[in-house]
Amino acid sequence: METLENSNTDNSGYESAEKIILRWDSTASEEGRERMIFGTDRQEADVYLQAVDEIQRSLSSASISDCSHNVDADDQSKVNTTIQIAMARLEDEFRNILIIHTSALEIDSLFDSSTLFSSSTPTHHDLEDDEDCISDDSGNSRNNLLQLHHCESSDSSTYRTSSSIRKVDLMPAEAICDLQAIAMRMIAAGYLRECVQVYGSVRKSSVDSSFRKLGIEKLSIGDVQRLEWEALEGKIRRWIRAARVCVRILFASEKKLCEQIFDCVGTDIDDASFMETVKVPASQLFNFAEAISISRRSPEKLFKILDLHDALMELLPDIEAVFDSKSSDSIRVQAAETLSRLAEAARGILSEFENAVLREPSRVPVPGGTIHPLTRYVMNYISLISDYKPTLIELIMSKPSTGSRYSGDPSTPDMEFTELEGKTPLALHLIWIIVVLQFNLDGKSKHYRDVSLAHLFMMNNVHYIVHKVKGSPELREMIGDDCLRKLTRKFRQAATSYQRATWVSVLYCLRDEGLHVSGSFSSGVSKTALRERFKTFNAMFEEVHRTQSMWLIPNGQLREELRISISEKLLPAYRSFLGRFRSHIESGKHPENYIKYSAEDLETAVLDFFEGYPAS
Amino acid sequence: MPATDYQGTSSPLTNIGRSLLPVRRDQVHAMESPIGGSASNEAEIESFQRQVADRFHDLASVPSDELLSLPWVRKLLDVFLCCQEEFRVILFNNIALVKKPPMDRLIADFYERTVKALDVCNAIRDGIEQIRQWQKLLEIVLCALGDSNVGYQRSLGEGQFRRARKALIDLAIGMLDEKDSGQALAHRNRSFGRHNTSGSHSKDHHHRSLGHFRSLSWSVSRSWSAARQLQAIGNNLAAPRGNEVLATNGLAVPVYTMGSVLLFVMWALVAAIPCQDRGLQVHFNVPRQFPWSAPILCLHERILEESKRRDRKNACGLLREIYQMEKCSRLLGELADSVQFPLSEDKEREVKQRVKELEQVLDALKEDLEPLEKQVREVFHRIVRSRTEGLDSFARGHNPE
Repeated sequence: METLENSNTDNSGYESAEKIILRWDSTASEEGRERMIFGTDRQEADVYLQAVDEIQRSLSSASISDCSHNVDADDQSKVNTTIQIAMARLEDEFRNILIIHTSALEIDSLFDSSTLFSSSTPTHHDLEDDEDCISDDSGNSRNNLLQLHHCESSDSSTYRTSSSIRKVDLMPAEAICDLQAIAMRMIAAGYLRECVQVYGSVRKSSVDSSFRKLGIEKLSIGDVQRLEWEALEGKIRRWIRAARVCVRILFASEKKLCEQIFDCVGTDIDDASFMETVKVPASQLFNFAEAISISRRSPEKLFKILDLHDALMELLPDIEAVFDSKSSDSIRVQAAETLSRLAEAARGILSEFENAVLREPSRVPVPGGTIHPLTRYVMNYISLISDYKPTLIELIMSKPSTGSRYSGDPSTPDMEFTELEGKTPLALHLIWIIVVLQFNLDGKSKHYRDVSLAHLFMMNNVHYIVHKVKGSPELREMIGDDCLRKLTRKFRQAATSYQRATWVSVLYCLRDEGLHVSGSFSSGVSKTALRERFKTFNAMFEEVHRTQSMWLIPNGQLREELRISISEKLLPAYRSFLGRFRSHIESGKHPENYIKYSAEDLETAVLDFFEGYPAS
Repeated sequence: MPATDYQGTSSPLTNIGRSLLPVRRDQVHAMESPIGGSASNEAEIESFQRQVADRFHDLASVPSDELLSLPWVRKLLDVFLCCQEEFRVILFNNIALVKKPPMDRLIADFYERTVKALDVCNAIRDGIEQIRQWQKLLEIVLCALGDSNVGYQRSLGEGQFRRARKALIDLAIGMLDEKDSGQALAHRNRSFGRHNTSGSHSKDHHHRSLGHFRSLSWSVSRSWSAARQLQAIGNNLAAPRGNEVLATNGLAVPVYTMGSVLLFVMWALVAAIPCQDRGLQVHFNVPRQFPWSAPILCLHERILEESKRRDRKNACGLLREIYQMEKCSRLLGELADSVQFPLSEDKEREVKQRVKELEQVLDALKEDLEPLEKQVREVFHRIVRSRTEGLDSFARGHNPE
């Protein structure tokens, strides 16, 4: 190590400073290139900085040197050159310190950080019911609502976080000290721009690699449009987690670093260096959420979009805290705009869903009159909607736009909005959806050739609606008991209609009139007519038994109730008929051809009804 | 309506105004449509066509040193926004027609086109950010060589020139095509006496950070291509046939017009501003019969010509201010390389002259670059909004509000 020239005159102070600077000029000397000043020897660094200060001092002081040549301009120029050499060197040192101490954040540990999330148990939702979702109409179009079979669990629990920002020290204190010292000199010499630029380029590169570790991809809007929604769901989930880390930790910490290094020279500068570092990455981050908010509306997207909306809304205060300067306007604005677009998208999807339910076109009747996949899908969907009630109740602000009372349009149902005063718009939408669902199902029921089956179908499906509503307190509260009563009435009516359609004619066989012949001698019974009756009854019952065992009422209770109701009408009638007329048959030939069944036989046979047995 | 004849694109544009749709248009005029009278519909369509033509005529009648300048590009975006607004109004006024085939398909196609333009908008914003980085480097040069220093007047010495040269070299590298950046880096390191041998961290990282500068700047994946995106926007963009015009009550024409305007504006933006894989070979087949065909085709040709000029062939963007930045920095670089100290009076004057030019370029950038970025963002928003509105009104189906 060379010793400094010891001198006690200004001039030699300047000269020795100049020597030091020139020694470290990397464009000129070999030694200057081979090692760095900072980071090897504390003293070297201090000496160098002192030298820079000395040169600076002489630049700003009126008298430069005692030089006998007295060519001010020359000296001035030399000083300027020396300064430039020093600044170029300091710029390299600055960059070097930044690079050496740049290590990507330990991303995995950040994800587990409990400061990011408050405790609340995420609820798991499935769009698929316990009962298996049968899909018919496999030939239908791709856009058929029924294609959706599952929806991943939502992380839609509300995270109430207050000071969720966590600033991490990105660099050791010593490095920051050095950086500060260098920055001060560069800025004092008028080299602010170079300083900020070097800072920005190294830090931006670090942010970029953190982004890659967080799994943030560079997807264009076109890419997002082309991807399958299922793939996008995964990306959205990942984005939500990544965005939280980015805003609350990554960006916040970068901001802190800027403050640490540049605060002593002015807030404008630390703002500028912060923006230089994060402006492009932040915009890139929010581009993804923006792309999602622009994607085509379709029903299965609702819940993930709500998740994204909620996550972004929750992040907004932190975004505003981190990006609080004027120059970061554009980022705040982009986040806020994206949030409102997501809200719009949610509203649009709800409308889209309502329309899709109304227009769902499948015509092939569900075999056995059981629950239509559309019913299942819709009821699961609106149960899920009721789970998202806290968010949706804020987002949905207007009544359903389709369906007016006096539209006179036969292709849409009417809805009485007046008697639904005091209901939130969200509740109105849910009720409307149920109305529309029924309307559609009504249309579908007409495709059954057997009218009884049509009624059974309606009974099954409306009952299922009631069952699902009752099963969810939120849903029940929104739909309201009035509505529920109406629905209950409807499925009971359907049950009654079914019974009438099937059994009236069967029981007709067991009527009294027409059997008695009144003659002058005897009030007797027409044996022929009686035999006819028995034969007809048997044939009819067998036919009903054959077909209706293949029909299905999935709900056990309902199935029981209907069978009991049938039995209650059938068995007494048959017993009484048998009681009155069996003797007449038994007194004739081949009674077994006519009295095939006992009441107990019938009772047993009824147990086969609505079991959904396969065709034999 | 007489069919006026347009000469080649080089002739002065005197025949703007009258709609030039094929004669069959008269049949539409004569027909009384059962839905909203075709008379009012035709008037607004014609007015729209005329407005588009007038605006592009204005854009086309600028001298060549104004073409593709920042103020001109801003004006182009204004024109787009105006056309877009009027188009929206036409759709709104004819909503019943819009929902019926074949118009519903045409408009759905149009919206798909506009979505593709969104990525171009984002890419352009990246490009503007690039230009901003160059602006910052030039500001360093100005700081070094300009005489705006506080305090004393000083003559330019070696220090200032070294400082300026450093920034100019960074600028030259930054403005190069990606494929050439490797060579340029070596050059840069050489001129500062460094060798690309193993050495300190600093050199390797320096190399890396410069080489990566590009990929850091683009917020799209490596495979995204502006050229391909433009081709996608122009895909299947064809003038409506007579029967289509009839079937849509004339609405097919403004749809085609707006589609062409969109394509042209996006193409011009890509021509002007740096972005990933800038290719200008997109097919641009506009039949001359429309009142706006001539001005747009004229502009298209002028811009293409500009791109083929020897000194602009490898430019990363045709923006006039980029050209000025390149020229300025090249001249200053040559000066800085050739200068001897102390400066002769002649040299000093030359430097001052170049610095003055530099100042003018920087002023232009300071004035217009940020507003341009805001406008691009506004274009983005309007496109999204009009598409959302359009798709929503379809979703409502046949139900009136």
